[in-house]
Amino acid sequence: MSVETEATGHVDDTQDDVQVAPPSGRRRLFGILTLVLTPILLVMAMLYAPEDLAQGPAQRIFYIHVPSAWIGFLAFFVVFVSSIAFLATGKRKYDDTAAASAEVGVIFTTGVMITGPLWGRPVWGVYWTWDPRLTSFLMLWLIYLSYIVLRGYVPDPARRARFSAVLGIVGFFDVPIVYLSVRWWRSEHPLQLVFQRGGLPAEMLVTLLVGVATFTFMYLYLLSLRTRTGRLRERSDEEVAQ
Amino acid sequence: MSWASSAVIIAGKDLRLEMRTRDVIASVGLFVLLVVVTASFAFPTSGEGREGVAAGVLWMAFLFAALLGMGRSMAIEKEDGCLEGLMLSPAARESIFLGKLLANLGFTWAVEVVILPVFVVLLQLAPGSGLVLLALCALLGTLGLVTVGTLFAAMAVHTRGREAILPLLVMPVSVPVMIAAVKTSEAALTGAWSSGATSWLLLMVGYDALFLLVALATFPHVMEE
Repeated sequence: MSVETEATGHVDDTQDDVQVAPPSGRRRLFGILTLVLTPILLVMAMLYAPEDLAQGPAQRIFYIHVPSAWIGFLAFFVVFVSSIAFLATGKRKYDDTAAASAEVGVIFTTGVMITGPLWGRPVWGVYWTWDPRLTSFLMLWLIYLSYIVLRGYVPDPARRARFSAVLGIVGFFDVPIVYLSVRWWRSEHPLQLVFQRGGLPAEMLVTLLVGVATFTFMYLYLLSLRTRTGRLRERSDEEVAQ
Repeated sequence: MSWASSAVIIAGKDLRLEMRTRDVIASVGLFVLLVVVTASFAFPTSGEGREGVAAGVLWMAFLFAALLGMGRSMAIEKEDGCLEGLMLSPAARESIFLGKLLANLGFTWAVEVVILPVFVVLLQLAPGSGLVLLALCALLGTLGLVTVGTLFAAMAVHTRGREAILPLLVMPVSVPVMIAAVKTSEAALTGAWSSGATSWLLLMVGYDALFLLVALATFPHVMEE
């Protein structure tokens, strides 16, 4: 149990029967790490990593695009696990985590949906193609957008928590089937390989790993912040209602 | 009373209500007919490759039919506290789900059976021997749509949006079924049972089974009060 020490914080976490969010000390650490790593990542992606012969400078978006996608998946996996935990225990903190993780996940996957076409246009010649990977990612993004819309449309908090947990579970189970079906759907039109893997130069790999670290800390920071904001908003709603 | 007989009684109640009012079949049936007619103007439904377009139109119509029917069948429960009555009854939550699922399947299949011949005539199709495949595809595809739809309809009825929310929830999640159903129907309308069609049928079986289990496991939480 942590104590909120900020001068502006009116809330003392120790008064809570449920912990509001990860301790504020750890949250601050995540924030600082994100702040430090982001410029490092940008410099590494722009200067340190070698230029790709075939794709040119456009390839450098890879260091933002790929970590966002991976951490987006992680965020939705956290939604899935928290949703199960919520239905099993009924503890509100799991719903808070699921809601926050879905929001942050949608932000990251939106980043993927924006950076992907920016790369696709110079390298593929098109902004969008109905490639299995792209199509299933689009569906993933739409499922979690509907998750956020659903949360906005259920006024009763207890119901909102239960309903969104159900969607968080159904949506996650759906993703592999979407991927399978889209692959079969497109199978009659063989498409070029998205990534020719194997033999990524060390500099590129290091930059990618720094990218993953940056986005992981950014995710943890935002998750912690959103969980706390959501919790505070709920409490203020309750106080208004009283 | 076993869970199965409770489910059958609940489904029977819905079907009897429908037999007396003919609310869903009349409105949804006409709506689906209008979708098919409008789509015939919107898409090239003659000439080469029209089976592919026709299969797409058919499943958009079926999807709309399922969505409307499921929304209506849950909205009826919301009126006059019927839902509370159902929940107070000794029937298990799983039986309520299965009962609503059976009723929704009944409505949607009924609309499909009525619309399919009209559709074949209007779009000048000749499925011939593909009719068996088409029927199988309609059975499995509709089961998939209605399984997730019945679960989500029970949620959507408690939201502010109601009618608007149900499609938002069902459509992204049901994309695999839609792809599989459209592909299988296209094969059926061209009259060929290909090995691809068998894979798609299996995918639908897998989808239906998985989400039936997920829905049975989560529905009690939706109905909790």
